[in-house]
Amino acid sequence: MDIRLLRPSDIPLIQHANLENLPENYFLKYYLYHALSWPQLSYVAVDVSRPAKTPYDYPKIVGYVLAKMEEEPSDGVQHGHITSLSVMRTHRRLGIAEKLMRQSQQAMVETFGAHYVSLHVRVSNQAAIHLYRDTLGFKNEKTEAKYYADAEDAYCMKLDLRFIRDQIKEARDAELAEQAGGEKKEDGKETEEAKNGEKTKNGSSGNDEDVDEGAAVGDVGRDPAKGRKKAVAAAAEKEVKVKVGRALGVGELVERVERRHS
Amino acid sequence: MPQVLNTREANLFRTVIRYYEEKQYKRGLKAAEQILKKNPKHGDTMSMKALIMNAQGKSEEAFALAKEALTIDMRSHICWHVYGILYRTNKNFDEAIKAYKFALKLEPGSQQIQRDLAILQIQMRDYQGYVQSRFVMLKARPQLRQNWTALAIAYHLEGNLQQAENILSTYEKSVSAAPLKTDFENSEAVLYKNSIIAEQGDIERALEHLELDGKNSLDRLAAMELRARYLAQLGKNPEAAKAYRALLDRNPDHPDYYKGLVDALSISESDEAALKTVYDEYAAKYPRCDAARRLPLDFLTGDGFRTQAKSYLTLMFNKGVPSTFANLKHLYSDSFKRDAMPLVVDEYLKDLKSGNTDGKVQANGDSSKGEGAALYFLAQHYNYHMGRDLTKAMEYVDQAVKLDSSNVEFQMTKARIFKHQGDMEKASAAMDQARLLDTRDRYINSKAAKYQLRNNENEKALTTLGLFTRAETVDGPLADLIDMQCIWFLTEDGEAWQRRGDYGMALKRYHTIYNIFDIWQEDQFDFHSFSLRKGQIRAYIDMVRWEDQLREHPFYFQAALDAVNLYLLMHDKPQGSNGVNGVDGKTVNGDDAAAEKKKAAKKAKKEAQKAEREAAGKSAKQDPNKATALKTKEEDVKKDDDPNGLKLAATADPLGDAMKFLGPLLQFSPKNIEGQLAGFDVYMRRKKYLLALRCLNAALSLDKDHPRVKEQVVEFQKAVEPVLQSLAPKVQDVFKSEFIGFARS
Ligand SMILES: CC(C)(COP(=O)(O)OP(=O)(O)OC[C@H]1O[C@@H](n2cnc3c(N)ncnc32)[C@H](O)[C@@H]1OP(=O)(O)O)[C@@H](O)C(=O)NCCC(=O)NCCS
Repeated sequence: MDIRLLRPSDIPLIQHANLENLPENYFLKYYLYHALSWPQLSYVAVDVSRPAKTPYDYPKIVGYVLAKMEEEPSDGVQHGHITSLSVMRTHRRLGIAEKLMRQSQQAMVETFGAHYVSLHVRVSNQAAIHLYRDTLGFKNEKTEAKYYADAEDAYCMKLDLRFIRDQIKEARDAELAEQAGGEKKEDGKETEEAKNGEKTKNGSSGNDEDVDEGAAVGDVGRDPAKGRKKAVAAAAEKEVKVKVGRALGVGELVERVERRHS
Repeated sequence: MPQVLNTREANLFRTVIRYYEEKQYKRGLKAAEQILKKNPKHGDTMSMKALIMNAQGKSEEAFALAKEALTIDMRSHICWHVYGILYRTNKNFDEAIKAYKFALKLEPGSQQIQRDLAILQIQMRDYQGYVQSRFVMLKARPQLRQNWTALAIAYHLEGNLQQAENILSTYEKSVSAAPLKTDFENSEAVLYKNSIIAEQGDIERALEHLELDGKNSLDRLAAMELRARYLAQLGKNPEAAKAYRALLDRNPDHPDYYKGLVDALSISESDEAALKTVYDEYAAKYPRCDAARRLPLDFLTGDGFRTQAKSYLTLMFNKGVPSTFANLKHLYSDSFKRDAMPLVVDEYLKDLKSGNTDGKVQANGDSSKGEGAALYFLAQHYNYHMGRDLTKAMEYVDQAVKLDSSNVEFQMTKARIFKHQGDMEKASAAMDQARLLDTRDRYINSKAAKYQLRNNENEKALTTLGLFTRAETVDGPLADLIDMQCIWFLTEDGEAWQRRGDYGMALKRYHTIYNIFDIWQEDQFDFHSFSLRKGQIRAYIDMVRWEDQLREHPFYFQAALDAVNLYLLMHDKPQGSNGVNGVDGKTVNGDDAAAEKKKAAKKAKKEAQKAEREAAGKSAKQDPNKATALKTKEEDVKKDDDPNGLKLAATADPLGDAMKFLGPLLQFSPKNIEGQLAGFDVYMRRKKYLLALRCLNAALSLDKDHPRVKEQVVEFQKAVEPVLQSLAPKVQDVFKSEFIGFARS
């Protein structure tokens, strides 16, 4: 088993793993959307122990975490979100899920300045709850009634990522001390800047040239997402729709899936 | 002459555009009609109306109208642009590009048209065209970094690495202020440039650039990995070792890093002790790390292997980890290791009975966990194709079940053993029993459905899967599985229908998979612009390269090969080709059979016609305005007029239909012998001997001892020799030099 970053070429088998393991499924484009928006955040576990059958074998994905940054955080705080996590039953209890999660969390802080990471989990999902709460230290924020398509409730869980920021800072300090020269002094502030930088960037660059890029060609996204609506606050939906749909162009697809799942 | 609108109508025209953009198609149409009432020959309005109709799914009418608009107003860029868009949505990209180019000639400054053209060019991999377009766009808006990056991408994909780098550097030089450390777009652009430098082979410069400009990269992992790789490539071993150690501290479960470290430390492959020291260090440092404990099993031999295997297995069994075998089965290619494993496990079981297991079991308090895991391991060991002994496998799994009858894994393995015994019926029943032990887990649900399909229980499998598909999907589980692009199900379902003799349903599934690959190819479309805005350029390049090879994926190969082989079957046994619901594979004797088949074929045709009529009726009944009023989204939902594949099965030209699947098979997976064999079969039947020869030669060079290849050589000789004389001398030469020579050698 090999824990590594996701590559676009992994996606068909990630989608396959998702379909095998979970009732919440997505079309391939939604995986692409993750892989091309936050390529640093999604990880896979590969079964390296199966012999190749043809010259065109693709690495067999036995586990994955699909993660993102919240694009329009309602609380204004940069944070990550776990879209989907699963491990093939044949490879469970090996620590794969935990490792995937930790890699993703690290990158959320380093690359995007995330302050915390959030996720939803079925209230009946013992294995996952154990993993999130006991192994990784997530806290239960609230329960969302009838979150899932089959009307099961969800725990909305959060993990404060400050400990990773601290680790990074410590490591940096140690490095600087080692270099002894100490040429740089502004390092400690980095993560804070990262947060702001990300924000201003969203505000400034996206809108200039490309406001309605793609509008004339219309929506090329498929519509596999009909149905499976969830009782998510209507107001929140609206917001996602306008913002994401307008500024980003992958548009409708994202919009629809977000309404279903987040 | 094009008509000119008065002010009121000109305003109205603008609202038409707005309605279109907001997808308020009904209103848009109404406004367009209003204009057309007074100006029936206003080309731009007609075009906009066509565009809206197209968005509503009425693409034929839309085309007709757009064409008419063009004849009225050949000089309108709007008309040409719309015409291009219509082609684009109908996936005729070449024509769309032509139309955009016309539009652009008429309106050279239009950003919108230029952008649409550029996206299509890259989608079609017209790199030169894309370079040109991006060049124009850069000239129009040089203040935007995106435009520089985009031109660099264009050069990069075209293969002009030097120029790509130049463009990125030119932009960098043009900005005076130092970029913020937190500027993500910049951080990514630096790494992108770095990858281009490395791709040119200049590793030294790549390292230098990385250490200088990429030092504060926000993508820490990428920067660290690149640096480690460059250092190793440049032979800077001590630094490379340090870099790999840093990576291992991040992720000690990535085998490549150990390899990098070991290489950098110049440890010889045969120095087991030195190698093991490296891994042991990380095993001690990271108690939850798996790789450091498991990987030594790959290189250790003899007693060293046994000792390590024992300690690894003990650790895993004591935790009750059921996945241990899955993590080790690659070791079985080494027969010593394969034979050593069960002995080690036996030893563990003995220790367990005598209470002699490092005290860990006691700590866990539950020794049955360890015993169950060990028995389960042995069951899998004897069930694995290397070293298979199914009787023993069954014994062990039964023992394990006795320990814990509610264990899903144990029961699941029972089903697998039945499968290997060739008893699919029992296997399917056993897997369903496993499913019942944990009805909340979709994995076991999927497996149960898969086994049902292997046992040709299509209907039952769908019901099983339906326990997890979305309940709201009106058309049931199947529609959801298709929507969600569930390839494994479609493939297995198709194969099962095929075994049952229902070729229509089988073809239907294979075609559905074909279409899903079309969708996946088109999925990249939006990202050509999206990724520029997001700034994740390296990921985008990866995607483009993957998409270029999309259909080499085994998912495609399997379905396409199935389809080609089925079409071959239909060609060879034409009467049987109309396998219909209810007629299963069983052969009926003599005249009865022929009559039956004829009847079936007739019935199939009738049913297909009926389905068609119904579909037509339905769409006619769908008053567009009413439909849009009812639905929240004004989208056309195309009704499938051949849900059971009756039309597909009724084809008069199965070999012709097979070509659609065969083409990509041979193009993208030329090294897969199964594809070449199938290609030969198709081309021979179509009497395309040169193409058949090409497949045969490919197959010969892949595996000249393959039994089917030998048969095909004979078949080819028999078929071609008699006709050789009648062929043009040139062609004869080709045959002689390419084949005959081959056969003699
Ligand atoms: C939840 C899931 C991802 C866990 O994957 P995994 O790779 O087996 O988990 P790990 O091996 O990393 O285990 C992490 C921790 O969870 C515990 N755990 C795992 N499975 C468990 C189970 N069935 N019951 C209780 N605890 C369990 C492990 O013991 C470990 O705990 P520890 O830190 O005390 O040692 C996996 O069970 C799965 O894919 N389930 C189906 C899909 C799903 O539910 N996904 C989550 C949706 S939110």
